[in-house]
Amino acid sequence: MNNDQQNSQAMGGHGGGIPMQAPRQDMEYLCADCGAKNEIKAREPIRCRECGHRIMYKKRTKRMVQFEAR
Amino acid sequence: MPDSERSKRQPTFDTLEREKLFKFPPKQGSSYKILNEFVAPHIESFNALFDDSGLPSGDGKGKGLLSLGLDDMGERVIFDGTGQTAGTWGNRMRIWIESVSISRPMVPDKNKYVKDRKVFPAEARERLASYRGKMSIKLCWTDPQGQRQDVTRDCGLVPIMVRSVRCNLRSMSSADMVKHHEEAEEFGGYFVINGNERLIRYLILPRRNHVISLLRPSFTNRGPSYTQYAVQIRCVRPDQTSCTNTLHYLSNGSAMFRFSWRKQEYVIPIMLILKALVGASDKEIFEGIMMQDYDNTFLTGRVELLLRSYKQFTMRTGEQALEYLGDKFRVVLGMADDMSNSAIGALLIRKLILVHIENPREKYRMLLFMLRKLYSVVNGTCCADNPDSPQHQEVLLPGQLYGMIIKERLEEILNSIRTFINIDIRNGNTVDFNDKRYFAKVLTRINFDIGSKLSNFLATGNLVSPSGLDLQQASGFTIVAEKLNWQRYISHFRCIHRGAFFAELKTTTVRKLLPEAWGFLCPVHTPDGSPCGLLNHLARTCRIVTAPLAVAHIPALLAKHGMSEPFNACIDGRTNLCVQLDGHVIGWATPAVARQLATSLRIWKTEGKNEIPMDLEIGMVPPSMGGQYPGLFLFSSRSRMMRPVKYLANGRDDSIGPFEQVYMDIACTPEEIESEVSTHVEHNPTNFLSILANLTPFSDFNQSPRNIYQCQMGKQTMGTPSTALKHRTDNKLYRLQSGQSPVVRPALHNTYAMDAFPNGTNAIVALRKSGEPTLHFGLGPEIKPHAKGEKRDSCLDFLDLDGLPYIGTKLRSGDPIAAYVDDVTRRTKFVKYKGDEEALVDEVRLLGEDTGDVELQKIHITLRITRSPVIGDKFSSRHGQKGVCSQKWPAVDMPFSESGMQPDVIINPHAFPSRMTIGMLVESMAGKAGAMHGLAQDATPFKAVEAAGYNYYGNEPMYSGITGEEFAADIYLGVVYYQRLRHMVLDKFQVRTTGPVDPVTRQPVKGRKRAGGIRFGEMERDALIAHGTSYLLQDRLMNCSDYSTAWDISLGEVFTGTSISRKPTGPGGEYCRICRAAAEQEDELERQALATGQHLQRPQASLSVAISSQNVLGRSLKGGDLDVVAVPYVFRYLCAELASMGIAVSLEIQ
Repeated sequence: MNNDQQNSQAMGGHGGGIPMQAPRQDMEYLCADCGAKNEIKAREPIRCRECGHRIMYKKRTKRMVQFEAR
Repeated sequence: MPDSERSKRQPTFDTLEREKLFKFPPKQGSSYKILNEFVAPHIESFNALFDDSGLPSGDGKGKGLLSLGLDDMGERVIFDGTGQTAGTWGNRMRIWIESVSISRPMVPDKNKYVKDRKVFPAEARERLASYRGKMSIKLCWTDPQGQRQDVTRDCGLVPIMVRSVRCNLRSMSSADMVKHHEEAEEFGGYFVINGNERLIRYLILPRRNHVISLLRPSFTNRGPSYTQYAVQIRCVRPDQTSCTNTLHYLSNGSAMFRFSWRKQEYVIPIMLILKALVGASDKEIFEGIMMQDYDNTFLTGRVELLLRSYKQFTMRTGEQALEYLGDKFRVVLGMADDMSNSAIGALLIRKLILVHIENPREKYRMLLFMLRKLYSVVNGTCCADNPDSPQHQEVLLPGQLYGMIIKERLEEILNSIRTFINIDIRNGNTVDFNDKRYFAKVLTRINFDIGSKLSNFLATGNLVSPSGLDLQQASGFTIVAEKLNWQRYISHFRCIHRGAFFAELKTTTVRKLLPEAWGFLCPVHTPDGSPCGLLNHLARTCRIVTAPLAVAHIPALLAKHGMSEPFNACIDGRTNLCVQLDGHVIGWATPAVARQLATSLRIWKTEGKNEIPMDLEIGMVPPSMGGQYPGLFLFSSRSRMMRPVKYLANGRDDSIGPFEQVYMDIACTPEEIESEVSTHVEHNPTNFLSILANLTPFSDFNQSPRNIYQCQMGKQTMGTPSTALKHRTDNKLYRLQSGQSPVVRPALHNTYAMDAFPNGTNAIVALRKSGEPTLHFGLGPEIKPHAKGEKRDSCLDFLDLDGLPYIGTKLRSGDPIAAYVDDVTRRTKFVKYKGDEEALVDEVRLLGEDTGDVELQKIHITLRITRSPVIGDKFSSRHGQKGVCSQKWPAVDMPFSESGMQPDVIINPHAFPSRMTIGMLVESMAGKAGAMHGLAQDATPFKAVEAAGYNYYGNEPMYSGITGEEFAADIYLGVVYYQRLRHMVLDKFQVRTTGPVDPVTRQPVKGRKRAGGIRFGEMERDALIAHGTSYLLQDRLMNCSDYSTAWDISLGEVFTGTSISRKPTGPGGEYCRICRAAAEQEDELERQALATGQHLQRPQASLSVAISSQNVLGRSLKGGDLDVVAVPYVFRYLCAELASMGIAVSLEIQ
């Protein structure tokens, strides 16, 4: 799995043009059924660890989102 | 206003009540019960498929339709042909299906990680999957020793109706429903197929088990001596499959019996069937048809001819007739080889002739009745029935159609097992009935996947069936339940279609609104245009009977009260009426007795006496001169329309059907009751309207077509489609952010949870003449479509580390929505956003698979596009008054009234005289009064309008928003509930000056998507010519189209051909290749001519086309004879095409 991750990192850098050398934080998703936080790494099956549900929501971003408010 | 008085004032907006209901949905039952009631026919008909349907059992044993279907199917018999030399058929094997079971939707057993195995509809929607349960059958067969063997086979996953008995949401409370990501008001009745909600639409069918007389000139084309007269009966088996039988009258006085089997039609002389049924003697048949009416020479003559016509068959006994029938139908029916001819004849009669009756004697009686009715139509003593009238119609319910398809598929499985074994025998393969493995091998070659067949049926609406299921159409059975807004959504569950066959019909008689439809089909709620009158909606209080009724005791009860028993041989047909229950002749009675029986039955059923069910339809057709064929017809079957009214004789609630309603006098209001005439009174004068038609405020003040338009526009409104928006995956969803509860609303607004899904805004409307037809201001809705993407992995400005977009990211055209690593090329790929409008990422879903062991394959991204109203967007009030916003105006510059009211919308008073929507004027006044007093206004149609505080004309002085000056005239100002329709300019505008062109013709392409043009056609061209606007014409057809320039040799020929010897060069040194070559050649020729002294002959073009000198551009002064001319490019293309055929075009320029 670890190997896999590095692989994809290298390619991410290639595609996006931004080198991703910093240690990658794990992506967290929310289960659509029970709402539990789930860390899902690349190539891991989509499944809730708590209830086994098969749909995940992406978490709201922590980045600043600002729109022109007129 | 003191609190006590305030609470007395009705109706209120119930704001707090609604908030409470929304925040804390009830833990027991549902928040709006009526919503569950109006989809009941969908759900209950689906439930009826199963043995544990929860429906009352009626006269039967409570078996589900699937079990009844298995009983009807019976078994198939196969012989292995081993003993053929010995003169026997060999070893005998019987195969049959013993039971069918369909389970609730569950996670497959492969998935080991799940805690709760149940699957809920929300998951199916979000994963764009189908909501399906496992189906399996128990297949049984006997080995040569007669020992029973059985095997259970999987039949795939069958789509399950939401909230049916096989749904995991069954009987959940509103609170639980919300917990499972559904609407609190969710009522089910549909299937989830690939994430879409689809439902089977009601379809109108001929009323079952009732003989109708037909008069169709086309019947004469069926063959020699056929006439236009026939009687027809659609017989329904206990498993709700049907078979239509027709009895044709022939000009020689006899009758032919017609039925169809596997889409093939068969005709049998009626005498053959009468004989075969009970072995009746000629005398018995004669007496049975005549019924003592010996003076009727018309009848005696026909019956005599009928009996004589049978002599050619030279069969005397019933057994002989059965054998004859069996012999003829042996191959067609494809039954077991060892069945005797008479057994096959009996089977034919059981399976295809009057299938609603079991007993041959009763079938015989019914056939005699059909003959009597047929002769009566021919004679003119009764008229033909109208098959387009709801009196002779019933409804095909979703569950019944579903059951029919399943039954047919199961039958196909049995047939194909037999076919495969027979093929093996014919090919000489080893067939061993003793070997279980052989049977297992046969089964592996058979397609058991009924689930995918049903999914396909629901997804496409196409019926693939070898028998046609006795239906007139093969497609268009299912529709998508679009959740555009609440009104549209609930309308889908009440719509009822006449049949795709009638849509193609040139005649419009089927579309006619008949008085018989009163109270059953809404006269207002039908679309205009091609489906008008064919696609109807059920009236609000119309129910459809779905439960079987217990009526087995009725014949005996009626006999006790004066009805003669049917076997009585000496009944006078002239003075007696036939009494029928569900197409069974149960007796005879004189008109007076029959009328008494009908009245008694009605009193018993309304008062619950003698166990007469409430939904029994008592159709007493009195004797008349050439009217409908008289009799007492009782109906207790399912899928009839019924509606509640009040019975005046005892003041009880009654339930009436369309058959009996024709002979009733129903008062609309208690004031209308005429003593001695009226039998019933409506509970409510608005009950004949559909739900949507009921929601139009003050619709009784409007011109009727406007109410029809409003029913359409209410369904196109942008509103609140759902309260579970987070879990919706519709392709496009429109959401209004400024939804309000209307001030003016009919009483039913609350009943049908309309306030839970607001559909518009209360707007201050001023009527004022101005240049523009309408002028809108200040509605702020929002639209929410979404796109579907695929895959995973990478990063960018818009994208997170997982390659998915940040939620809330603003996207412009071309921005990446997702990135993934292509497994083949090992490179990162991006999915781009293609829309023209700015979009915001609203939700990102990662979709797994059922099995829970698959990595990310599919993502689902919801995009939000905001659209504030712009000029050109379409709005309407609730009175069919639609219009387009023509101007937006700053609020500060808007005029205002003395009380400070500022109009949101200014409309032109010219909108009223021709459209006559007085209801809108009343609404605006009532709305203003309601807004002033803070009260909801009751706008129920047919209610006296109360003077709720508006004792003035409604005009007010107004002041200019810009100068503050008072206007010369008082202006009419009020509050009207406005809807924003989904048709928006942003989706529709199509503008272009220049742009993409067709590569061949260089003319503009068509299509809005490709930035193409709108065709400027022949008629448009004619208009410009007629106006003499030649510059416009030049602009449209030349300059903005395929304008092109070409070099031309002045006074010579353009593209091809020869030229006079001039200087063939242009100002820039251009030259014409042809001319130069020709000039050189000519030069050469002339030299030769000079040398030989002969006269030179030039080739001459035969056709010349003139180009006017106006088209010659910028004639060069520099010298040279080449000029530039404007030529349409297609013309050059035409020249090239002609040249390819060896035709040279020469042009002349003047």
